[in-house]
Amino acid sequence: MPYSFPLGPYHPALEEPFKVKVQCKGEVIESATVEVGFSYRGIELLAQKRNWVEVITLIERVCGICSNTHAMTFCMAAETIAGIELPKRAAHIRTIIAELERLHSHLLWAGVGAEDIGFHSLFMEVFTLRERVMDTLEAISGNRVNYGMNCIGGVLRDIPDPAAHLPALDALAKGLGEVVIPTFTQNPTALARTRGVGRLTKEQAVEWAVVGPVARASGLDIDVRKDQPYLSYADLDFESVVRPEGDVLARVVVRALEMMESVRLIREALLSLPPGPLRATQGLPEIPVGEATIRTEAPRGEAFYYVASEGGASPARVKIRTPSFVNIPAIEPMVMGQPLADLSIIQASVDPCISCTDR
Amino acid sequence: MAMLKTILGNLLRPSRTRAPADMPVVPPTYRGALTHDAGRCTACGTCAFVCAPKAIHFTQEPGISVSWHFFIGQCSFCGLCEQNCPTRAIHLRADIPGSMNSAGGDGLRLESVIHLQPCTRCGAAHVPLPAATMDALWAAGADEAERGYCPDCRRWAASARLRTAFTPDGAVAEGGRHDR
Repeated sequence: MPYSFPLGPYHPALEEPFKVKVQCKGEVIESATVEVGFSYRGIELLAQKRNWVEVITLIERVCGICSNTHAMTFCMAAETIAGIELPKRAAHIRTIIAELERLHSHLLWAGVGAEDIGFHSLFMEVFTLRERVMDTLEAISGNRVNYGMNCIGGVLRDIPDPAAHLPALDALAKGLGEVVIPTFTQNPTALARTRGVGRLTKEQAVEWAVVGPVARASGLDIDVRKDQPYLSYADLDFESVVRPEGDVLARVVVRALEMMESVRLIREALLSLPPGPLRATQGLPEIPVGEATIRTEAPRGEAFYYVASEGGASPARVKIRTPSFVNIPAIEPMVMGQPLADLSIIQASVDPCISCTDR
Repeated sequence: MAMLKTILGNLLRPSRTRAPADMPVVPPTYRGALTHDAGRCTACGTCAFVCAPKAIHFTQEPGISVSWHFFIGQCSFCGLCEQNCPTRAIHLRADIPGSMNSAGGDGLRLESVIHLQPCTRCGAAHVPLPAATMDALWAAGADEAERGYCPDCRRWAASARLRTAFTPDGAVAEGGRHDR
């Protein structure tokens, strides 16, 4: 007899509230409905009531994991409106922080993914590695989560001794290459839970307009860092990772190889940190009348910002479209015909970030 | 057999759990306890302007003092107040925020009183410049008497100096007092 099963809004594995309501026949899922909006905070409206400096602090709190992406993209939009050119050193530092953030976000996901398939020892391994990334971020910015690195026209903090962070990168590359990637791709327990599970074909990926690692795991080669290079990505010869399979394993592999690419990017950016000023402007920013749209590649995919200014103390409009906003609905085609027990890992495999989605 | 090897290997290796003494070094950039130096503060209000969660605000007792208030419950430790303070009166130290001097007695609030000084020329109460700023400004050998002036009188004195430079006899009519 068919029955419906609500998973959430309090998720058994993820910390944030969203709901997947599935219709099952026996053990097999026939259809699914995704509900979001449980942690709506009205950040876009709040942003219109704060001045240009305060908005950066506010926007940084859109997401608890990819906080820097949001502040950075907003600052890039304001810089585009004001016609401020970012100093080279600031662009490199922003790239380093963005890639460190991608590393810690993907490691967090790998840990949660391992937990979802009941692989606790792998979770421990992954979070030991993630701690190195968090320590590096704390050493650079003074905080583990909301780094507060960005200001309109540059960055607020320098990396005075780039070579000091290289040992952490070596340890990370070693841990990823020797433990995390081989375990996810060779361990029979991990493979049994991920290979061929939650498949999203290339056509479905286009139809559901997914972005980021989910799209790249379905064979769509889209990455803003490559398609429309910003910051220092053009100088660092970024290469995107694409897999054609479209299952959970492919998403794991895409994220794992992206982490290796991030480690390489951070190392090159640290070694080639150009001298120069950190900020193009001094004092409080003055943004003229204008509007700008900016796309950046957040850890979960393309983040889109539209910022309009009427020349006042506050932005006239800040529109935020986060990657999870388009990735979460794609859970619906992924879970069709899959066993109920795989629902947890399938929905975790899109790396849903609910606070981003709800804003 | 492989399992036995793993167990033996684990027994011979040291613990991977960090001991309390083996903590990562707190970086000097760590944004912890906030301190405010009333001697440096000019009550310009920049910190309150850039504070997104509105943890900082000013109150005043007209003619006597301006008070700077901080409530840690609203602070997001973004550090923008420290970054934007023109006189470096605010500093986020690299230690954990402890109990604070608190009028409310809850240990969550920080207050610091900036006493106004009467202007030595017109008598108007004003926030004095920080000593370091004064030393830097008066290093060039400006008139020591101007140290106690309020901003309006400083402006008047600067304009008087300019006028003296233009008028050859140096005669400046006394009485150009600003309205109060």
